[in-house]
Amino acid sequence: MSRKGFDLFDLIKKVLFTDFVKGLTVTLGYNISKSITMRYPDEEKWIPYRRFRGLHTLNRDENGRELCVACELCSKACPTGCITVIPEENDSGRGIADRVAKVWTVNLVRCLFCGYCEDACPTRALRLGREYELACADYSCTLMSRDQLLVPQPVPESIPGGYVVKSKLERTPQGIKVTVDLSKFKKRSI
Amino acid sequence: MEQIFFYIFAVIAVVTAIAVVSVRNPVHSALYLIVCFLQVAAIFILLRSPFLAAVQVFIYVGAVMVLFLFAVMVLDVGKESFSEHMHSQAIPAVITVAGLLAVAVWLISTGSLTAPLGPYTEEALSKNTEVIGKALYTQYIFPFEVVSLLLLIALIGAVVLVLKDKGRGAGRRP
Amino acid sequence: MPDIATLLQVLLIVVKVGVVTMILFGLPLPLTWLERKVAGHIQVRLGPWRVGPHGLLQPFADMIKLLFKEDIVPYKADKLLFNLAPLITMVPAFAVFVAIPFGDSVMIPFINKEVTLYISDMNVGILYILAISGLGVYGLILGGWASNSKYALLGGLRSSAQMISYEVAMTFAAVGVVMMTNSLSLVEMVKAQSGSFLSWNIFYLPVGPVWFVIFLIAGLAEINRIPFDLTEDEGTLAAGFHTEYSGMKFAFFMLAEYVAMVTISILAVVMFFGGWNAPLEVPVPIPPIFWLVAKAAAFIYFFMWIRFTLPRYRYDQLMTIGWKILIPVALVNLLVTGFMRI
Repeated sequence: MSRKGFDLFDLIKKVLFTDFVKGLTVTLGYNISKSITMRYPDEEKWIPYRRFRGLHTLNRDENGRELCVACELCSKACPTGCITVIPEENDSGRGIADRVAKVWTVNLVRCLFCGYCEDACPTRALRLGREYELACADYSCTLMSRDQLLVPQPVPESIPGGYVVKSKLERTPQGIKVTVDLSKFKKRSI
Repeated sequence: MEQIFFYIFAVIAVVTAIAVVSVRNPVHSALYLIVCFLQVAAIFILLRSPFLAAVQVFIYVGAVMVLFLFAVMVLDVGKESFSEHMHSQAIPAVITVAGLLAVAVWLISTGSLTAPLGPYTEEALSKNTEVIGKALYTQYIFPFEVVSLLLLIALIGAVVLVLKDKGRGAGRRP
Repeated sequence: MPDIATLLQVLLIVVKVGVVTMILFGLPLPLTWLERKVAGHIQVRLGPWRVGPHGLLQPFADMIKLLFKEDIVPYKADKLLFNLAPLITMVPAFAVFVAIPFGDSVMIPFINKEVTLYISDMNVGILYILAISGLGVYGLILGGWASNSKYALLGGLRSSAQMISYEVAMTFAAVGVVMMTNSLSLVEMVKAQSGSFLSWNIFYLPVGPVWFVIFLIAGLAEINRIPFDLTEDEGTLAAGFHTEYSGMKFAFFMLAEYVAMVTISILAVVMFFGGWNAPLEVPVPIPPIFWLVAKAAAFIYFFMWIRFTLPRYRYDQLMTIGWKILIPVALVNLLVTGFMRI
């Protein structure tokens, strides 16, 4: 409103509280609109895209041999130095070469999920998967070893991801677990 | 029954009134004054004047005392200065109060401190508000107007004081 | 020795007071839930969800938490006033309900006795409510002062200034309603508005809506809700006057706040929206108290709706609205109403 002129229209607007009513209609619209909250973990769970960088996974080739050749490049590339690799000689056909990892551990407390290790890997043995439920009540889960990482992750590589699936929270004496049903999926409501 | 209530209210009113002047902390003394006013309002109700009681609570307790408290908090009246004030005045004050009390007791006991009852019956007093309103605007219109004029003068005076201060402050600004 | 009838009457009043107090003590539980739900949905969230179905048991969880919380009294606080302040806030908030009418008289089916749905029909009802609800501010001021904390003291000072400013406008609105209905008694007020919704005070054109707006704005300021919750402005004052309070004492402040909101809602309904009168003649017999509760609930929702729509006013804006807009408008409106009533 200009300082000198007397704006009748503005006065009428003020008296009738038009701006106030406009604001109220906006909030009322939101009030009756559907909520965008994802009901994780009770009902829904977000399945990330393939590009997501979650928990490390060690892959095998189609014959079930470990792809990891224990070259230690991942360990060298790691900016936080959280990957420990100790190689060993093994020609029993466990890996694709004679050289396999005796120890391959990643310290998840230090890891910043930058993905350099994934880039450095010459055999595509190491990938950052789509598992992101990494919390635990003690230190037991902060150090992930080779045996645990060799187990295929619940979300297979073939699924493109980027949608919401049905899930359920299960309470067991060992702890809580989120089980997902990957068969039915829907887009995220935004 | 009413007498019992009267004595309860009266005793609390007197005790809190004494507490108002005797406690050291100004905020506590304001609180006691609030309690005292509330007792007076209760006594008004016993006297069949709910309007006066409500106005007493509304004006004195609700507005005036809030301003009192506001001022006390902003001014931060220290406990020390309060106690110093009391020292030299305590004895003359007690003597004066005792003298006034004696006079009051004498007047009441001899029965010379009475006022004539109004022409209102119990039924008329149930419409208390209208009775007061009519009396104020007919019989007592002159004092009423004088009081409102006084209040207006006080209001304008306050505004003028503030304006003057502002003007001076503006003039001094470099 | 008083006779049986008097005793029965006293007993009836005691029972009524007990019922009203119990309802008021229980009311904040659904109201906190509702407020958080409304907040959630306006912000496109869900609100409380995990405790019970749709988070319905959340208030009970909160209550248990508050009951078991440590009761902290700050260092160098004024213990007496610090403990007294929540009560000083709470008692007037409850005492107001003595004069609030919930309906006309109803017949109790078994003992065949007529019972009025109000505790007392005092002939200065509206004045009593304004006076008593004004007392609640002492709890805020004294609690703020006694906490020995800068934030709390500032909150207390702000609340006192705000209450004084807006009580004037609120009283003017009440005076307007008194002029429109010719009575200070709330029961008479409702009876004067009986009939269809056109006889409600809000439709007393042209002054009714203006009085209503003045009353609503002043009422919002009196109960310290957004956009006028300067006393507990978390942006600048941490939590205002109840910064130092914890546990049950904090709960008392919250309780008083919610009860005050209910009071203002019911008062708005009684003064402007015909109380327990039905808006239109309905063929089905609906108890009058339903209309009062429904209208009051609409107002409570409206207050919550406003809370999550508007930002908070600045302190100087608050004072400007109170003194420079509401009171002059109220004075002009008083004049117009006076001319209309001649």
